[in-house]
Amino acid sequence: MTRFFSWLFSLLALAAFFALLLLFVWQSLPVLRAEGGSYVTENRWFFRQHQFGAAAMIYGSVVVSIIALMIAVPLGLGAAIGTAEYLPARLRWVAKAFMELLAGIPSVVYGLLGILLLRNWVYDGFVAFEPLSGDTLLTAGLLLSIMVLPTIVTLGDDALRAVSAKQRHAARGLGLTHAETILFITLPQAGKGLWAAILLGFGRAMGETIAVFLVVGRQDNQLPENLFSLSMLLEAGQTLTSKLGGAETNIAYGDPLHWAAITGLALLLLLITGLVTWLGSVFRRRSQDA
Amino acid sequence: MRKLINYLLAAAALGSMSVVILILGGLIIVIAQKGLPAISWSFLSSGMKQAGASGGIIWHLVGTLLLITTAWLITSPLSLSLALLQQVWLDKKGRWSQALRLFFYTCNGVPSIVFGLFGFMIFVQYFNWGKSWLVGGIVLAMSMLPTVTLAIMERMEAIPAKYLEASAALGLSKTQVVWSVILPQSLTGLATGSLLALARAAGETAPIMFTATIFAGATFPDGIRENPVLTLPYHIFILAQDSFDPAMGPQLWGSALVLIALVATLSLLALPLRLIMHEESHD
Repeated sequence: MTRFFSWLFSLLALAAFFALLLLFVWQSLPVLRAEGGSYVTENRWFFRQHQFGAAAMIYGSVVVSIIALMIAVPLGLGAAIGTAEYLPARLRWVAKAFMELLAGIPSVVYGLLGILLLRNWVYDGFVAFEPLSGDTLLTAGLLLSIMVLPTIVTLGDDALRAVSAKQRHAARGLGLTHAETILFITLPQAGKGLWAAILLGFGRAMGETIAVFLVVGRQDNQLPENLFSLSMLLEAGQTLTSKLGGAETNIAYGDPLHWAAITGLALLLLLITGLVTWLGSVFRRRSQDA
Repeated sequence: MRKLINYLLAAAALGSMSVVILILGGLIIVIAQKGLPAISWSFLSSGMKQAGASGGIIWHLVGTLLLITTAWLITSPLSLSLALLQQVWLDKKGRWSQALRLFFYTCNGVPSIVFGLFGFMIFVQYFNWGKSWLVGGIVLAMSMLPTVTLAIMERMEAIPAKYLEASAALGLSKTQVVWSVILPQSLTGLATGSLLALARAAGETAPIMFTATIFAGATFPDGIRENPVLTLPYHIFILAQDSFDPAMGPQLWGSALVLIALVATLSLLALPLRLIMHEESHD
């Protein structure tokens, strides 16, 4: 009886998750049939003309996440070295509890802070480059960097602590300084776990919706001529998630091709975050087993 | 030289730690400072007036609590079943069991907006329920499921082998072992996992904005179809976009502070349980 019900409930839950994936694949087929590869490579999203090319949104999502990581990774891993290697055990638990609390701050609250403070700071700070407003890809990236900090610090700290104390003692016994022990013994050994922290942070940044929605400007079809030019960062953009969270989702339902284009964005998001999180989880698991 | 590097690394590590704590601490102080003046008994106990410019947030609080309670009631039996499946009914070290766990680690990274669109397609449109608290509950349950399931799995794995050996020596069947040893021992896992997932679910906007919540004109639902609720996150989300109206300021920050207080209470409740678990695992 117990066995029967745990199988039943488990299969029900698993069915829901697989149904989700299949539903998004099935619903987005029309746009893949109509647009083919240009759905992801072309930069033209004009839904009234039934033209759907999502390149600008993929660019937007990747760029804001990379900005977020460029700030959050050095700062977060530095802080993780601080909590794991320098803080006494008791303070370390306080710091970890604090991080957990901050990881729980709702994204709409971060979005509110972004609207009322950060976007003005960005506008004032970069006024020399004449941005049209404070709602830019850079603002979204900066906000995301704060939002993924707790993830990176917590996972980074776990990875460093998973390195056995014996190794540290041995290194110190050989006459290495505290810093040398960290740089040459702990960090290399924690490598997989640190990569897990970065990948899972990237996954979080890619999937974040509400906070990005509020500060990114939501301007369609914004793609720089040269992929490495930074001028776009001070202009409004669009990410996969900010498109999905917008009013267009409500409009699109009822028009099969437009709806397919919207679910296609969700499918892309699902595939990218799924791949990154899966890879991060594998790394994390290996670093814990080692 | 070696000494210098030693000092530099310590300074860099402790420095970035302080920066992180300052940024994140400053954030909480800003919200508390701006939100506290708005908090009063009438703010917490009356309904919204003038599209959020005055009045209180009682129905938003009720709506948020209703959604997360529903989600928890759906998630917890499913999570317990999945954890039992992985730890007891399937071979614990086997390929299927490992794949199941990795699957939920991966699901943990699914952006919550995706669950929202799923609920929108299936329940709001296909079943024609319209926006409903129950859709919100189901969607949030899906977003909570991986966290709760993994917390229980990890707790079950940490049950000392001697308990299982003792119960096996007493001749208990697998079902009896589940009910008398494994389930009671994993309740703390259920509790901590649930609290953390509930804290996250309470603050979610993306999954419920197309499925369960509206800005004004709802109180307590009296059915399923076309029965949306007001919620705190969506309230903040809408007001934040009208932030140029100065009358909204205090209401907005006050709502944000109440939401953070709710979330923080849920995650702080989990803390003592986690510390107990930590102590036990070092016996």
